[in-house]
Amino acid sequence: MDRLFILKNRRNSYFVGHALIRVWALLFCSSLGALAQSTAPPVNASAPVSIRATHLLGLKNTKSNCNGTLSIQGDALQFQQGGKPGAEVKITSIQAVFQGAESKQVGGLPMKLGKAAAPYGGGRVVSLLAHKKYDTLTLEYVDSNGGLHGAIFQLSKGQGELVTNLLKARGVSPSSGEYQTTKQSTAEVMDENN
Amino acid sequence: MKTIRRSSSIISVAAIVAVMVAFPAWLPAQTAAVKSSDASSCSAMQWSVQVDRVNTGDLEVAYSFQVAIYENLLKELSKTKQFTQVFRDGDRKASDVPNLLVLQTTVEKYTPGSETRRAVTTVSGATKLTVRSQIVTREGKIVLERRVNGNVRLFGSNLRATHNLARNIAKAIKQSRWDVG
Repeated sequence: MDRLFILKNRRNSYFVGHALIRVWALLFCSSLGALAQSTAPPVNASAPVSIRATHLLGLKNTKSNCNGTLSIQGDALQFQQGGKPGAEVKITSIQAVFQGAESKQVGGLPMKLGKAAAPYGGGRVVSLLAHKKYDTLTLEYVDSNGGLHGAIFQLSKGQGELVTNLLKARGVSPSSGEYQTTKQSTAEVMDENN
Repeated sequence: MKTIRRSSSIISVAAIVAVMVAFPAWLPAQTAAVKSSDASSCSAMQWSVQVDRVNTGDLEVAYSFQVAIYENLLKELSKTKQFTQVFRDGDRKASDVPNLLVLQTTVEKYTPGSETRRAVTTVSGATKLTVRSQIVTREGKIVLERRVNGNVRLFGSNLRATHNLARNIAKAIKQSRWDVG
């Protein structure tokens, strides 16, 4: 009887221990989550930031479809090609920032030729796999005469949001231009009138 | 016999030369077309144009497309050399220009394509744009109205549709005659 009582007591302490471990694990996980939320990289508005980008069109004295570095320094957004003095847009002149997402085929002309030469439609399978998603950053800004300009950049996935947040932190007010995210959908959009 | 043939060929050549001298209007049609386009460019050279931002109405057109159409239009219109000056939307200098026309662009149809679908299927995934372009005077009189398309069906990125569209609009303006009167 005594032995049975001891066994029961042991089983109870075993369950209590397990319960404690579970509660501790739960607390640990929740605290980790809270920690992760609080340690999200803060947007430092004053720190200079530079990101690899492709200028698609719009900036003055800059070629279309050229690679370079997009940086935010002081009160200006700069795009530089290989160390040359690049184009600059005052952040105060930016009226709107739009972020979008697109995908494109990678590999260029050699890949296209390879796909065309592949037998039994193998090129199509390669096309299915050889595409890359990227962000687009579209800016609307005005020059000293009040003329409207637009510029489009292509950034690595995830970088568009970063630049948008940085511009927001540097005073591009949402009231003067709405921050909008656009995603290319395959649905056909047609005017109902036509 | 030989002399008769020779003289007849000389006469026929002389007749052809005489006809060409007498009727210069019978010159090839291509030359005439060039002349007419020159004439239209002369009339347009007195005018400047201001490009308004693209109006999308109720359609959901990607902002990158709107900006790309606007910027490409400015570039292509400058290339045509049809206008003395090409102004941007909101440019204060445009208000001082005496002969100013305004180019308004309204998107009527937009099919956002996919480069990957084009590459995989060949027949689907085309990016299509249809716009209504109007050239109006300051007073709001419509001088020219055209419906223009810009598509990418096989090669190139989706944004290339905006380049093709702007080129087609500039071409349509160049080939048209308008009377501002």
